Amino acid sequence: MVNFEDLTLKYTDKLAISQLSLSIKHGEKVAIIGPSGAGKSTLLFHLYSLLKDNAAFCSQKQGLVDGLSTYHNVYMGSLARHNWLYNVVNLVTPFSVPLGEVNGLCHELSLDVPMAKLLAELSGGQRQRVALARALYQRQPIFIGDEPFSALDPLMAEHLLKLVLARHSSAIMVLHDKSQALSHFDRIIGLREGKLCLDVTQDELTPELLAHFYSHESFPQPCNA
Amino acid sequence: MPKSSPFIGYWLKTTLSLWVIAFVCFYLSDTEIISLDPWSELQRMGLGLVSPDFFATEYLLEALWQTVSFALLGVFVGLLWGAPLALVYTNRFIAAMCAVIRSIHEIFWALLFLQIFGLSPITGILAIALPYGATFARVFHDILLQSPVTTVQTLPAHTDKISRYFYGRISHVIVPILAYIRYRFECALRSSAVLGFIGMPTLGFYLETAFRQGNYHEGAALLILFITLIGTISFWCRPTLIILYLFCAVFTLPNIPSVDGMLLWRFISQDILPPALQNLDGFSQFDFTQLLNWAYKILLEQALPGMILTLLLALSALAMAHLVSVSASALAFKPLTGSIFSSVMKLLLLILRSIPEYIFAFIFMMLLGPSMLPAMLALALHNGALIAFLTLRQSDTVSVSADFNGRIDGYCYDILPKIYPNLMGLLFYRFEVILRETAIFGILGVATLGFYIDSAFSEIRYSTALLLMACTALLNIVVDLVSRRLLTQSTRGGLACR
Amino acid sequence: MGLFKIAAFITLSTITSSAFAAVFTFTAIPDENESQLRTRFEKVALYLEKELGIEVNYVPVKSYSAAVTAFRNNQVQLAWFGGLSGVQARRLVPGSDAIAQGNEDQFFQSYFIAHESAEVLSSDSFPNLNGLTFTFGSKGSTSGRLMPQFYIERNLGKKTKDVFKRIGFSGDHSRTITQVEAGAYQVGAVNYKVWETAVENGTVDTNKVKVIWQSPTYPDYQWTVRAGVDETFGEGFKERLTQTLLNMNDPDLLASFPRSSFVPADNLDYEPIENVAKAIGLID
Repeated sequence: MVNFEDLTLKYTDKLAISQLSLSIKHGEKVAIIGPSGAGKSTLLFHLYSLLKDNAAFCSQKQGLVDGLSTYHNVYMGSLARHNWLYNVVNLVTPFSVPLGEVNGLCHELSLDVPMAKLLAELSGGQRQRVALARALYQRQPIFIGDEPFSALDPLMAEHLLKLVLARHSSAIMVLHDKSQALSHFDRIIGLREGKLCLDVTQDELTPELLAHFYSHESFPQPCNA
Repeated sequence: MPKSSPFIGYWLKTTLSLWVIAFVCFYLSDTEIISLDPWSELQRMGLGLVSPDFFATEYLLEALWQTVSFALLGVFVGLLWGAPLALVYTNRFIAAMCAVIRSIHEIFWALLFLQIFGLSPITGILAIALPYGATFARVFHDILLQSPVTTVQTLPAHTDKISRYFYGRISHVIVPILAYIRYRFECALRSSAVLGFIGMPTLGFYLETAFRQGNYHEGAALLILFITLIGTISFWCRPTLIILYLFCAVFTLPNIPSVDGMLLWRFISQDILPPALQNLDGFSQFDFTQLLNWAYKILLEQALPGMILTLLLALSALAMAHLVSVSASALAFKPLTGSIFSSVMKLLLLILRSIPEYIFAFIFMMLLGPSMLPAMLALALHNGALIAFLTLRQSDTVSVSADFNGRIDGYCYDILPKIYPNLMGLLFYRFEVILRETAIFGILGVATLGFYIDSAFSEIRYSTALLLMACTALLNIVVDLVSRRLLTQSTRGGLACR
Repeated sequence: MGLFKIAAFITLSTITSSAFAAVFTFTAIPDENESQLRTRFEKVALYLEKELGIEVNYVPVKSYSAAVTAFRNNQVQLAWFGGLSGVQARRLVPGSDAIAQGNEDQFFQSYFIAHESAEVLSSDSFPNLNGLTFTFGSKGSTSGRLMPQFYIERNLGKKTKDVFKRIGFSGDHSRTITQVEAGAYQVGAVNYKVWETAVENGTVDTNKVKVIWQSPTYPDYQWTVRAGVDETFGEGFKERLTQTLLNMNDPDLLASFPRSSFVPADNLDYEPIENVAKAIGLID
C-alpha cells in the first residue's frame, strides 16, 4: 500500500523525520506511538498525502468550523461525492438524505446533539466525535487518525476505536499513550526524535518492551541510526 | 545577542515613539487658546440641550429614513463590488486602486459626483459605496487570510474548488465578516448623516444648518435622535428585516433626476483639465510651462502646507485618541469599576462615537478659539471612544483570572496586556481614518488639505480640487504603507475587529 | 435592485444623453435663517405655479457652489443667487440672465464688526486691521467674503493673508457674529441685514461687539434664469416669469428671502461684482 525508504522531512529550522524507512501493506492496522515531538504527526500527514485518494484523515487540529452546525461539519466529509451546486445549496438548506445519514452516524458515535446546533456550543469530547464523524462519513477504505480519541473517556474511546477499525480495511493511527487500545492493532510503530525505534507485531509487544521504549534508555534492538 | 534593556518590549517602544512624535507635532501645531467670552453662546447651547425641540425640523421622519436608506444602499452596493474584489486583492493593481479609492473622504467623493449627477441620490449612495467597497475588499481579504487552513486539510481529496472554498474558508470567516458588515453599517449611518452637510437629504442637512445658525433647540433634538438611531441599531436592524428595508430604500429614494451624458463628458473633457489644457484646438497651442506653473503654484501654496497641517493634526489627534481609548476602556470595564459606572461609561462612549466630529469641533471652537486644538480634541474624543468601544467588545470576553483583585494594578497585569495589542492595532488602523476625517475640519476652516479642496470646489476650480485630492490619496497611501509595516512586525494574531 | 436601478439610470441616460427638464425647478438660499427651507419655499413654488400655470418644484441646497452646480447641470432653471454665485453661474451657462433683485440688493453693504477687546474704534475711514484676527463668512459669499476681502486689499494695499494674524471662514453670517462675540476672532465681516436682525432680536450683545466700518454699497442677491427656458416652457416664458417675480407682494412670501420687494435687474448691474472677483483672483 505504501512503501518508502530513507525518508527525511524537516521544517524550516528543525528536523522532524530522519532517514526513515517504512512499508505498510493493505489490510494492516498500524498504531504509531512515541513521546511528544517525536515526529508522529509529521509522519502521519506524510502518509496521508501519499494515500489521500483512498484515505480519510482525522487531524489532531480537527479542522472544525465553529460557525457551522454539527450537521454541516460532518457533511463536509462527503463534499467530494457531490457537485458544487448541491454542496452550496446544502449549506443554506440541508437536504434530507444526507441529514438522515449524518444523524444516524452521529447516533452511532453516541453524539446525541441536535443536528442544527452550532459547533461552537459543543464540548471538547463532542467536538472530537464530530471530527471523527466527518472522517467516517468520507467512507474511504483507509482511515488515518491523529490521536482521534484523546479527549474521550477510555470506555468511549475503546467503543469508537472498534467502530472505526470495523469500518476501514486499513488504518494508521497515532495514539497518545500506551493504553490497552494498542491491543486492537496488528502492528505497533514507535518513533523517537524522528527515528523509527520500534516496529513490532501485536504478538511481539510486551509491557516490558513498551516500558523500555518510553524509558528513554538505549534500546535492546538496534535503532537504525 | 545580548539585550541591553530587556524590559522595554515592542508595545512599550511603539507607544513611547508615538508619544514622542505626537509631542513634536503638538508643539509645531497652532494650539493657541483664544477665547474671551464663550459663555453666552455656551449657555444658549446648554439651554438647547436641556430643552430639545423635536418639532422644529421639517420633514424630520423623511430625513431619518433617508439617513438609514442611504447607509443601507451604500453598504449594499459597496458589498456588491467590494466583496468579490477581496478574492483577487493579492493583485497589486487591485490593492493600489482600492487604496486610492479608500483614501478619499466620502464628502469629497460626493462633491465630485455632485458635478456629474447633481443633487441626486446616486451621488450620496456612490459616495458611500465607493470607499466602503474598497474597505470591504481589503478587510475581507485580511480576514480570509486569517482563516485556519486545517479544515481544508481534512476535506476529502477530490472535493471541487467551490465546495472547498465555501466549506473550508468562507464558513470560517462568515461570523467575523457579518460582524464587520454590521459595524460598517453603523459607520455608514454616520457617513450618510455627514453627507447631509453638503446637501443630501439626510439628518446632517438639518443638523448642520441648526448648529451653524445657532438653533440649538433643534440641533440638540436632531443629535439626540441620531444617537438613539445608532444606539438602537441592534433593535431595529434585524437580519430578517434587511431585505425589506432594502426594498423600501430603493422605492422611497428621492427622485433620480435624469443624468445627462453630456455632463459626464464635459466633466472629463473640460472641467477637470488644468486651465492650460482647456479649450485647446490643437497640440500646437499646448503650453507646457503654463501647466507646470499651475501645478507648481498649487503644490507649493496649497498642497504642501495642507499636507503638513494634515499630518500634524492627525498625529497629535492619534496620540490623544490613544489616551482616550486606554483610559476609557479601563473605566468602562465592568469588573474594575462596577456595573453602574461601567454602564454610564458605555453610554458616554456611545454618545461620543455617534456625534459627528464636526459638532465637537464646533463646540470646542467656541470654548478654545479657532486654532487646531478643537479639531484635535474632536478627533481624539470621537476616535478614542470608538476604539474603546471595540476594545471593550474584546475585553468583555477575556476571561478574568480567579485572583483578579478588582483594582487598577490588577487590571494592568491581567487585562491590559491581553487587549493592548488589539487596541494598538485598531489605533493604527484608525489613523488612516483620522487622516481622512481631517477633511471635515477643512470645511470648518482648519487649513488642512480638506480646506483647500473645499475652497477649490466652492470656487468651481475642479482641476485644482482633483490635483489636491490626488495629493490626499498619495499622503494616505504612504501613511497606510508605514502603518502596515508597523503592524505586520507586531501582531501575530488577527485583530478582533477593525 | 438598488444597483440595477442606478445602473439602468446611468446607462440609459448616458445613451440618450438628453437632459430634458420637464418640471420647472428653482432653488434659493436666503441670507438669513435657513431653517424650514422647504416649508417656506414650497409656498413660493405654489405661488409661481399659480401665476405661471406650470408645475414648479423647489430644491433645497446647502451652499452657493451647490446652487451653481445645480444651475449649470440644468437641475434648476431659476435660482436666487448671491452676487458672486450669480456671476459664476452666468459665466458657466452663457445666455443666462439676471432678471430681478431685491429692493435692498441695489445698495447692499457689508459691516465689519469687532470685539471690544480689539479696541478698534468705529469710523468712516477704513480701520487699521493689521495684525488682528479676522473671520469671513462662507467662502462663496459676496457680503461675507468677496466684498470685504476686496475692500481690505484695496484699502490696506496688501493681500489679506499678510494683513491678519489669523483668517477664518465661519461659514455663515450668524456664526461670524457669535464667533466675534465669543472673542474667537477679533474682527469679522458680516451681511448688514443679518447684523441688523440680530440686533433687533437681541441675539447679540452690542456692548461686546460693535460695527466698526460700513462698506460702500454694491449689488447683491438676484434671481437668475437659465438660458433656453423659452424653448422649453414656451415663448415669452422668461418675460412672464420676470413679471411674476416682480409682482410678488405677499409679505409672507417675501419674508422667506427676506426682501421687501423685487425690482428689475440685468447682467450689467453685476459687472462690478465680476470685476471685483477677478481683481482678488476668485475667478479667472
